[in-house]
Amino acid sequence: MITSLRIMMRSQKVIVLCSIILSFLFIITILAPWIAPNDPIAVNLANKLQPSSFEYPLGTDHLGRCTLSRILYGARISLGFATLIFISSLGIGLIIGTIAGYKGGWVDQVLMRLCDGVMAFPNLLLILGLVGILGPGLKQVIIALMLVQWVYYARIFRGMVLSLKEQNYIAAAKISGSSQWKIIKKHIVPNVLPPLAVMGTLEMGWAIMDISAMSFLGLGVQPPTPEWGAMIHEGKTYIRTNPELMLYPGLMIMLVVVTFNLLGEALSERFGVKRR
Amino acid sequence: MVMSKRRNSKKVLFISAIVLILSTLLLGCTNESKENSTSNKDNKDMLTLAWPRDIGEMNPHVYNPSQLFATSMIYEPLVSYQDGGKLKPHLAESWEISKDGKEYTFNLRQDVKFSDGTSFNAEIVKKNFDTILKNVDLHSWLGFITKVDQTEVIDQNTFKLTLKEPYYPTIQELAVVRPVRFLGDAGFPKDGDTSKGVTKPVGTGPWILEEYKADEYAIFKRNENYWGELPKVKKIKVKVIPDAETRVLAFEKGDLDLIYGEGAISLDAFKQLETTGNYETSISDPVATRQLVMNTKKEQLSDLRVRQALQYGFNKKAMVDGVTSGLEEKADFILPTNFPYTSDIDVTAIDYNVEKAKALLDEAGWKLPKGKNVREKDGKPLEIELMYDSAESIQKAMAETLQSEWAALGVKLNIVGVELTVQIERFKANDFELNFFSNYGAPYDPHTFVNVVGSEGFGFNEAISSYPNRDELLKQIADVPGTTDEKERQELYSTILESLQDQGAIVPISYIKKIAVYQKDVSDFTFPANRDEHPFTGISIEK
Repeated sequence: MITSLRIMMRSQKVIVLCSIILSFLFIITILAPWIAPNDPIAVNLANKLQPSSFEYPLGTDHLGRCTLSRILYGARISLGFATLIFISSLGIGLIIGTIAGYKGGWVDQVLMRLCDGVMAFPNLLLILGLVGILGPGLKQVIIALMLVQWVYYARIFRGMVLSLKEQNYIAAAKISGSSQWKIIKKHIVPNVLPPLAVMGTLEMGWAIMDISAMSFLGLGVQPPTPEWGAMIHEGKTYIRTNPELMLYPGLMIMLVVVTFNLLGEALSERFGVKRR
Repeated sequence: MVMSKRRNSKKVLFISAIVLILSTLLLGCTNESKENSTSNKDNKDMLTLAWPRDIGEMNPHVYNPSQLFATSMIYEPLVSYQDGGKLKPHLAESWEISKDGKEYTFNLRQDVKFSDGTSFNAEIVKKNFDTILKNVDLHSWLGFITKVDQTEVIDQNTFKLTLKEPYYPTIQELAVVRPVRFLGDAGFPKDGDTSKGVTKPVGTGPWILEEYKADEYAIFKRNENYWGELPKVKKIKVKVIPDAETRVLAFEKGDLDLIYGEGAISLDAFKQLETTGNYETSISDPVATRQLVMNTKKEQLSDLRVRQALQYGFNKKAMVDGVTSGLEEKADFILPTNFPYTSDIDVTAIDYNVEKAKALLDEAGWKLPKGKNVREKDGKPLEIELMYDSAESIQKAMAETLQSEWAALGVKLNIVGVELTVQIERFKANDFELNFFSNYGAPYDPHTFVNVVGSEGFGFNEAISSYPNRDELLKQIADVPGTTDEKERQELYSTILESLQDQGAIVPISYIKKIAVYQKDVSDFTFPANRDEHPFTGISIEK
């Protein structure tokens, strides 16, 4: 009793701290055009690889572009599109999972075999393959990520729906003549929503990692758009003379991903959502 | 259950991804140090170098992805190209050219043996020529190939090549690394057609391919029965290390004795290695011009004023100095002036002038609509795509610089990084708007570059299709190799190169140079006069 209380207190603190960090990041993301000190894509070769200065707080990259500005704008891509991927794959997963779980029968069979098919491949490989077919570019990476991510949501929602379906209040709703859609809408969806916060925060971290990974490989964001993974890739050439070019975007990815993960862990403890 | 598996595996993936990112950078050293420490004992006289790509098939009669330097270690030409464009006897002891410029008689060297012991003679020379001539289309970029009428064995050591028409660069073209080098009889496949592959890489050269593991390494051992000067090092190991930074780290750790080539390491890394003073470095003379090719077949580039505006609109010197740290030189001509017939070119200099660029675009009808930052004409935005080799950091950096500079003119440049093979294919298929290109260098130029510009299916012929003087230009290009008068030839070359440049489809950017860094125990490293030839003649190492 006391330990669980302590865990609750601790997770509460983590939740607050992580939320503050993330809200701060989201705010600077939105405000990037106003707070960035320089144009993130303005090339100025005379100023290349400059150390930190008043004009360029984090120095400049190999084309003389302001690193801080690029990181701030890069946050828009990473956080913005990770949110987009999260929401859209969650939407698809929620719909398909709920239908499969509730309907059962051949609908369930078809949808779940489809999920099995997607899950049979390692995630990254599948994304790489899809981007290979669709061609490099941010849009393609986002489509590929959505196509791959929804299966996990579908799976978990199907499982939840299956267990909820046996509950008495569902049976009661059925007996009292509610339509199938009404039952799904009124009784099932609200019940599967709480674990969402947990899954969402964890998923966000992975989406950011995946976008960055694709950009690092040159398949995602195309130059000159600043993006953290792409910045690490560009900085790679200068790791000997200017390691900070890789370090700054790398730290940003780490900060965001770790924060999302800690938040996810804390939320699951807080809400008692079982993840293992 | 499934979910938890995914979570765990994701967590593992996350950690391993971080570890991987960090370790790939060090991979070069850790892996190879083990390898080296064992192999070093056995091979004291082994020179180890890194190369970004696998050496490819060791077939002297095909092209990409075979690496030229490796092919040149095994296979040899009839004549060799030396400093200043001098052509010296190699497998041919001497040659005579008939007065009408059509018959070439070669007296072959008699003491030459292939690495499998069979002798090199006129028969095998003819056999090689004949298999090359079976695929004329594949080799037509090399001008004399299409001109060959017949090949004859006069006697054991005399070979005669007869052309349909006089073609002055024939001897110069015989010095190239491919396709006119000689494969031993044992290397030919059953049907004799080497374009589909060879059974064994048998050549007359100073090196023999001893061991080969695709995408990992290749070991060449010296040919103990080599007819010429025996190499000083016993073995050469070529390690495939695709990443430039990994090459540098492996070199610093001492796992590599030599890194050389064009763009083999980033120029910043080169500068940094140079300043430590712990290593030897050298830079070659200009080997080629880095060019930007505009496809005039595309609507927006069909107007000369647009092409000129784009040239006026970027600061070439700042870009070249900035991107290459001053190791490449700003180029004013589409061919370096140290090649034959290229020193007397009179073109209108295009200096950096943003105002003029803007005026030219306005004049061409591309106006900047209010509140927008991309010019438009008939409602269409001025958008251009530039294709670059994604493995080439200089091309990428230049592409990004151009993108930024041209944005100030109101031109939207989309840059697309592609694999080298895709870049070549798309260029040949005329499926591009802007592309980076570089001329062939010694011993090919200027005639090969000019010939490629004139031939269909190589990219340029189609790319210059909006030139008003295109037909005349193509005729001049067709005429130049057949000229027997030196003065007339020079005049033709000047006219061709001048109008190619003045019409603005081919923009000289910089003169490319080769770089080399090597350990202090390596001596006698020299850049070969022939751009594609290996630099290992005379190189030695003391361990």
